[in-house]
Amino acid sequence: MRENPDPETGEVSLFDPELATCPQPVYARIRTRCPVARAAITGSPVLTRYADVLWALRHPEIFSSEMELQMALGTERPMIPQQIDPPAQTRYRKLLDPHFSRKKMEELVPAIRRHANALIDKFEDRGECEFDQAFAVPLPCTAFLSLCGLPLADLDHFLEIKDGIIRPQNIHPEAFEGLPPDRLMETAKEIRAQAGRRLYEYFEKVIDDRTENPKDDLMNSLVHAQIDGEQLTRSEILDICFLLLLAGLDTVTATLGCNIAYLAANPDQRRRIVEEPALIPGAVEELLRWETPVAAVPRVCKRDVSVNGFEIKAGELVTLLIGAANTDDGHFEEAQAVDFGRGRNIHLAFGGGPHRCLGSHLARMELQVAMEEWHRRIPEYRIKPGETPRFSPGIREAMYLPLEWDRG
Amino acid sequence: MKVRVDLAKCVGHGRCYVLAPDVFSEDERGHCVLLEETVPPEHAQQARLGQENCPEGAIEVAED
Repeated sequence: MRENPDPETGEVSLFDPELATCPQPVYARIRTRCPVARAAITGSPVLTRYADVLWALRHPEIFSSEMELQMALGTERPMIPQQIDPPAQTRYRKLLDPHFSRKKMEELVPAIRRHANALIDKFEDRGECEFDQAFAVPLPCTAFLSLCGLPLADLDHFLEIKDGIIRPQNIHPEAFEGLPPDRLMETAKEIRAQAGRRLYEYFEKVIDDRTENPKDDLMNSLVHAQIDGEQLTRSEILDICFLLLLAGLDTVTATLGCNIAYLAANPDQRRRIVEEPALIPGAVEELLRWETPVAAVPRVCKRDVSVNGFEIKAGELVTLLIGAANTDDGHFEEAQAVDFGRGRNIHLAFGGGPHRCLGSHLARMELQVAMEEWHRRIPEYRIKPGETPRFSPGIREAMYLPLEWDRG
Repeated sequence: MKVRVDLAKCVGHGRCYVLAPDVFSEDERGHCVLLEETVPPEHAQQARLGQENCPEGAIEVAED
């Protein structure tokens, strides 16, 4: 493996396994040597400094989320509101923001607390679990179902569709066996499209149901919502549902895994929050900054622009390396220290500007409740001896996180 | 202490009203609502905490 960034070309490998497992030292090298870098293979610009990333996030008219070259996640149209820029995006945010406000999310706390405990009930006595599958994956799905007003019995169906879209190789390994490399992408695309169609079908039925039998839930609100006196079209509702599912599940799963992996490996920090649960909100913020599970977000440049003396051309895909921005010594005091009591912490883990993560209040609530319940019930845990956690690139999910603890 | 909020910059991160609930509140969308422009001394520290944790730099405070 070459050094990252490449000392000769200055190019950055965004597929460096270190960026998944232990990214902070890599971020520091990239930021110091080439604050605006070029990615290997694609040659697309990568912004790493806090100030540059924040500036890009705040200027969607230059760094747009409307990409022709979508990340092809089984969608037939852009996801709403993530892949649409202001002013059209603003109309959707006005409609959706109230359903995701901090106040609304607090109403979900008792249900999430119940779901978290029900999951822990299943494995607490065993004294061990694989955290990703046992807790981090199902919990955000139950939260999503509660939020939308969908039955918990649909959990497995949802997990299958979600994995088909996000990780087709994991759910259908047989489809990839013995394929030449040039067929891999195509096969993944087919599985994604299939899962995408199942998702559309599922929500089509929910829309039909809420049209005939109004209920008091988010799906009902979407079906009967109006923007400027006009009802949302079926396509608009489906494009919103697609986003909620794709953006709301894996991100919280990944964050839970990163948090617990960090705390399992840093017992002093873990004991601090066990002894003083009031530190948990600060710990959640600090681990969002330090781990930045959604480490990179894409934008497309709408016009020629100069960033830090680096020329970016109209049409170029740009990567905002949020993880590097969140560990930038030029912005944060003691940026390389993990401090749960940090007073000023304006990390960009939820982005910024008009595309600020719609689900940030939901995510914070889920993370806080999960951290509280987990540490209340399983305070003394560690990585299983002899095992090594595995992280996925892109969204940094701890795909394999074997834990063990002392049974009480 | 005087506090000013530039609502054109607010995008609803919600850090201000979580960290400084005696100074800031939220509207239906979860955007900032400034409770009182003039902040009494006992809430000055909260106001500063809210100001310095706004990712959009939408909040200004002026000490008396």
